[in-house]
Order: sequence, then C-alpha cells, then structure tokens
Amino acid sequence: MARKTMTAAMSILLSAALAACGTGGDNKGTAEAEGGSNAAAAGSAASEGKITIRYWYAFGDKIEEAKQHLVKEFNASQDRIEVVAEHQGNYDDLHAKVQAAFAAGHAPAVTDLEIASTGVFARSGMLEELTAYADRDKDQLQLDDFNPGLMGNAYVDGKLYGLPFMRSTPILYKNVTMLKDAGLDPQGPKTWDELEQYARVLKEKGKNGMTVPADIWFYEALVAQSGGRMLSEDGKKAAFNSPEGVAPVEFWKKLVAEGLIKIPVGDEAGATADKDWANQLSAFKFGSTAGVTGSLEIAKGNGFELETAFMPANKSYGVPTGGCQLVITSKSSGEEKEAAWEFLKWMTSKENTIYQHKHVGYLPTRVSAVQSEELQTHFKEYPQFKVAVDQLQYARPRPMENGYPEVARIVRTAIEKAILDPKTTPQAAMDDAAKKADKLLSK
Amino acid sequence: MTTAWDKLRPYGMVAPAILVFSLFFIYPIFYMIYLSLFDWNFVSPDKAFVGLANFRELLADEDFRKVLGNTSLYTALVVSLTTGISLLLALWLNRSGWFHGFVQGAIFTPHIISLVSISLLWSWLMDPEYGLLNGILGWAGIGGLPWLSHPDTALLSLVLVAVWKGIGYNALVFIAGLQSIPADIYEAASLDRSRPLTTFRRLTLPMLSPTIFFLVVINMIGSFQVFETIAIMTGGGPVNATNTLVYYIYEYGFRFFKIGYASAAGVILLLIVGVLTLLYFRLLSAKVHYR
Repeated sequence: MARKTMTAAMSILLSAALAACGTGGDNKGTAEAEGGSNAAAAGSAASEGKITIRYWYAFGDKIEEAKQHLVKEFNASQDRIEVVAEHQGNYDDLHAKVQAAFAAGHAPAVTDLEIASTGVFARSGMLEELTAYADRDKDQLQLDDFNPGLMGNAYVDGKLYGLPFMRSTPILYKNVTMLKDAGLDPQGPKTWDELEQYARVLKEKGKNGMTVPADIWFYEALVAQSGGRMLSEDGKKAAFNSPEGVAPVEFWKKLVAEGLIKIPVGDEAGATADKDWANQLSAFKFGSTAGVTGSLEIAKGNGFELETAFMPANKSYGVPTGGCQLVITSKSSGEEKEAAWEFLKWMTSKENTIYQHKHVGYLPTRVSAVQSEELQTHFKEYPQFKVAVDQLQYARPRPMENGYPEVARIVRTAIEKAILDPKTTPQAAMDDAAKKADKLLSK
Repeated sequence: MTTAWDKLRPYGMVAPAILVFSLFFIYPIFYMIYLSLFDWNFVSPDKAFVGLANFRELLADEDFRKVLGNTSLYTALVVSLTTGISLLLALWLNRSGWFHGFVQGAIFTPHIISLVSISLLWSWLMDPEYGLLNGILGWAGIGGLPWLSHPDTALLSLVLVAVWKGIGYNALVFIAGLQSIPADIYEAASLDRSRPLTTFRRLTLPMLSPTIFFLVVINMIGSFQVFETIAIMTGGGPVNATNTLVYYIYEYGFRFFKIGYASAAGVILLLIVGVLTLLYFRLLSAKVHYR
C-alpha cells in the first residue's frame, strides 16, 4: 500500500517536472513578452537574439515615474534588449539588496548607486569597470560633455565605474510669501548671518525660520561653506573636528537654543522638516534639487510663492553633490554587460537628462543639455530649476571611503548629541566622533 | 513481518522537519559563528580571518555597551509591564458578559495587526507637532512630550507601543490559565474564609505559575529581538537612545557592510538569549507549580 502511494507520488512529481520542461522549451516567447525577470528567462531569451536584463532603482513618486518612463522608451526604441525595472526602496534598502543579491549570484545587471557608496562597491569587486567601454564608444558617449562637477564620484582610484544619472545638490527652498509678509527681502538670505537675522524677524512674527534635520548631507554642505573638509586629503583621518567642521554645529546649536530654527531628531526628522515647510510653519528648508517639481506643486496647492536659492554662505558658497549614478554589476555575463552598457549610454544621453531634469528636478548632467534651447527656455519660465545648475560651480564630490557610511552615522549622532545635550560642547562632540572615525578610516 | 520500510518510516516521516530545521536553523547558526571570525563584507574576494578580533572590538565599543544597556532596559520594562498589566486585566476579564467579551476582543486586536502598520500608526500619533497624543495632552493642559524625538523619552515610547501590542495576547493566555484552575479549590478556600488577596497570593499565583513562566520567557526572548518598531520609528536614534542589539546587527551587516562584525554581535545575542532561557528553566522551574 505504502509502496503504491510512493510510486504514485513519484510519477506525479516526474510528470510535473516534464511538463515544466516542456513549457520552458515552448514558451520562450511568452517569458520574454512578460519581461521574465529571472536569470533563466534572460538566458533563454538571449539565445533568440533578444536579451533581458534587470535594472534596480530607488525611490518612488516623480523619480519612479521618470525612471519607468525612460525604461519603457528604451525598450520601445530598439528590439535587441528588454530592460525590466524593479523598485527597491530608498538608497540604503537598494544597496543592501544589491549586496545580498550579488552574494547570492543573482544581482541585477544594472542598478542605481548612491554616489558615496561607489567606493565600497567598486573596491569589493561588485562593479564592472567602464573605462574600456567608454574608450571604445567615446564618440557616441562624449564623456567630457558630462558636467565635470559630477564626475568626482564616477571614478574610484582613477577607474571609471559609473555614469552620472539622477544627480543633485542640496538647495535652499524659500517661502517667499512668508518673507514678504514679514517685510523681508525675498532675495536673501545669502549668508549664515542673514539667515540668522531672517529667522529672528520671523520669530517675532510667530513663525519658525527653518526646520532642518541634522542630515549628513546638509552638514557636509555647511562644512564646505565654512571652508573645511569632512576627511583628510588621503581619506585616512577625520577632518570634521577642525574649526571649520565645528562651526556648523555651533551655528545650529546657537540657533536652536534661541528658538530660531528647529532641528528635529530621529528617523522622522526629514519628514518633519518637509511638513513644517509645506504647512508654512517654517519659511525655509534645505532639500535636494530632486524636490523642485514636487515642491512647486505643494506651494501651488497651499497658495504660497516658492523660490529656490543657493544654500547660504559662511566663508563661501559650497555644497556636496548627491544622487545616484548607473553602474553595471561585475558577475553578469558578457552579453548582459554589453546590453547594460547600451542601456547606460541611452539613459544618460542629452535628451534623456533633459527629460529627467524637467520631470523631477535633478541636475541636467550634460553641459550640452544645459546649453540647449529647450532648457534655456525652461529656466526662463521656471528659474527654480536653474539654481542647482548654477550652484554646481561650488560643488564637491562626497567622500567615498569604505568606512564612510559608518562615519556618517557617527557624525550624525554626535551632532544630535551636541544640540540636545546642553553639557556637550560642539567641539567635544566632534572630537569624540573624530576619534571613532579615525579608527575606522585608518584601516 | 517488519519490512525495511517499516523500520525506515519514522525517519522518513521526520526527515522533512529535520531537513528544514537543519537548513534554516542549524546551518545559519554555525555559518554565523564561522563568519564572526572574519573581516568580510559579504561580497569582496578578500575575506580575512581575524580570530576573535571582532569580539574584542565589540566589547571595547562604548556604543555596543550602550546598545546592550538599551536592550536590557527595554526587555525588563516590556516584560514586567506586559506581564503585570495583562495579569490584572485577565483577573478582571475572567468572567462572562458582553462587556468583558468586548474589552477582551478590543485589547486583543493589536496582536493581529502587522507590527509595521502599528509602528507607522504610532509614529503619527507620537509626532510632537501634529500628533494626536500631544494634541490630547495640550488640550488637557499638560503640555506635549517629545516622544520619539528626545533621548530621554524615545525608548519609553517604544516600550509603550510594545506593551500596547502585547497585553491582548498575554491577557488571553492568562485567562485560559485562570480558567483551567479547578473551581473546587476556590470553593475550599472560600469555605476556609480566605481573604481575596490571600487567595490570589497563595492559590491563584502558584496555580498560574506555569503560565506566568511561559509568558515571561517568550516575552523576554521577543523583546530582546525587537527590530521592526526601531527600524521604522526611530532608526536607533536619537543619539543611540533606542539602538538595540538586533538593529545594531542589521546596521552593521547591511548598512556598513561589516558582516563579520555583525555576526559577532549575533553570536553574543545568541549567547545572551540562550543563557537567559537556560537560567529561567533552571531557577524558575523550581518555583513553578506543575500539576
């Protein structure tokens, strides 16, 4: 009896397996049409001349719309390569998933990569070096057409690993209606001192100058504005406990103590800053240029006038760049890499960087795009979009050391501590953080 | 007549369970212990054997000590509050009637909602500017609390959420425990004119001790592994005030790409939970009344 059951079970299993093989053989076409996203589908499709590659991307909303749209256009533009785009959360989520997928031998051929993580990904051997590809296709690619200010994070140890895609700088978002109501010049504030004065006037009117999270990216900007650096030249030591690195923390701490600005802490800090600004409790916010389109819609919906400006200067203007570039993972097959490279070139072309800039607000990555008729007209109509482009002359790359994600965490904790704890001076907090960071960086 | 199949059958029957258990529990534990001896980022070709250096580094790290402290404090508060409150609730709810049934249903509801949804819900309730909680406190004239946005209140806010979610299930188990106590013992106690408090202390509590023991152990293990609320509500901040062991492991493994270091912390978590469980079984079982 038992044996009979076993035989029956075996034969069911066997026939199921055979059936599966059969479908696999006959239905290559369907798998392809459905954009089969697994490696098997990609492999079988390749044998028929059309190759399927996966592309992982970060973020939703406008950013996702633009990325999905570009992929759709790419797939329609030719019949050799099918790109399947898959959403993976924010940059941190995306990086963690790419890393896990790579370890499991199942990484996507192309992925977004936040620029500061290029170093650790490239040095771990996860990325395909693009120098040779770029050399071969130099006429088509026009590598020197990319804005030089954006290329700092594309190279690791002199080798090209990524092409600038949705790149940004932080900018100052101003509620001009609130400024005018308070009798303030809507052209400002251009310096830290002016920001303080503006906040003082706004406080008298019962408003808050600014809500700003102690975000590492904004802090990097304020350090640059003070003339300092995050890390030493060789990246082996922390440099943020210098007077230039401590100045931003002192500035923030002083303004918070006087009730002129708010620095929310914790995981929701960024969301709180956006809400305060959208609800007109705060006149200013710092934010990525990726938010221009979205913020314009908010301002229109809530009935106030929005202008964007450079982040205020201390000794000078200064910002880090941000955003992501497109990279190819190193364990993909040769065919997949070629397909991925085609996709990269297409995504970063002049036409498409203009499209994503207008749709989202990210920087136009190519000089020819900035100079184009189309964008020059666009800038005249919406000057809010132009600010980040002009600010690029004061931009610098983000640190790419392997230990930097952890250093960023340490710095943020130190800033929050210095601001929340009256007994901790900014200098002491940053010294403490620098000591921890040195240990990580010197490895 | 026994065939080979008759002899093999029991093994065949348990094989799937053993296979799953080995694959998903035993193998990962040993792999984690193995990884804890390396300096590796999960993908890099160079994977350096460092012996116990990860453990030395962990124990020397003041943040890690802070994380252990947070986790212990969180566990102690959640376990004692959840068990205490749900025991009181169970004593009150352990009778029939529509109202008691309704209350029991109501407090059980959080248990069946996903912890991720609950975390989002509570972070809105606890928003210092726009949240309902501060709205109510302000209306009552008490003034708002910073909740998750200050190191002094953040961990306690997370304890509140865990207790809120946990009491329904705990109360349910307590009620089941209470109902399994034979009524004739209570009858005898009342014939002897035992006062209610004495009855509770000398009768209910000992008879309930297996239930209490069970709940304390599972709550403790659960709290030591708290992750979702922290990942969604605080990200371990502000100023590391809510950074706990599992979140620390996650951050080092998947944010900072230090899988060896994270595994070493995982081994320490395993040891702590293991030792605590053993301790409970050894020490408390002596005082637990089994019928």
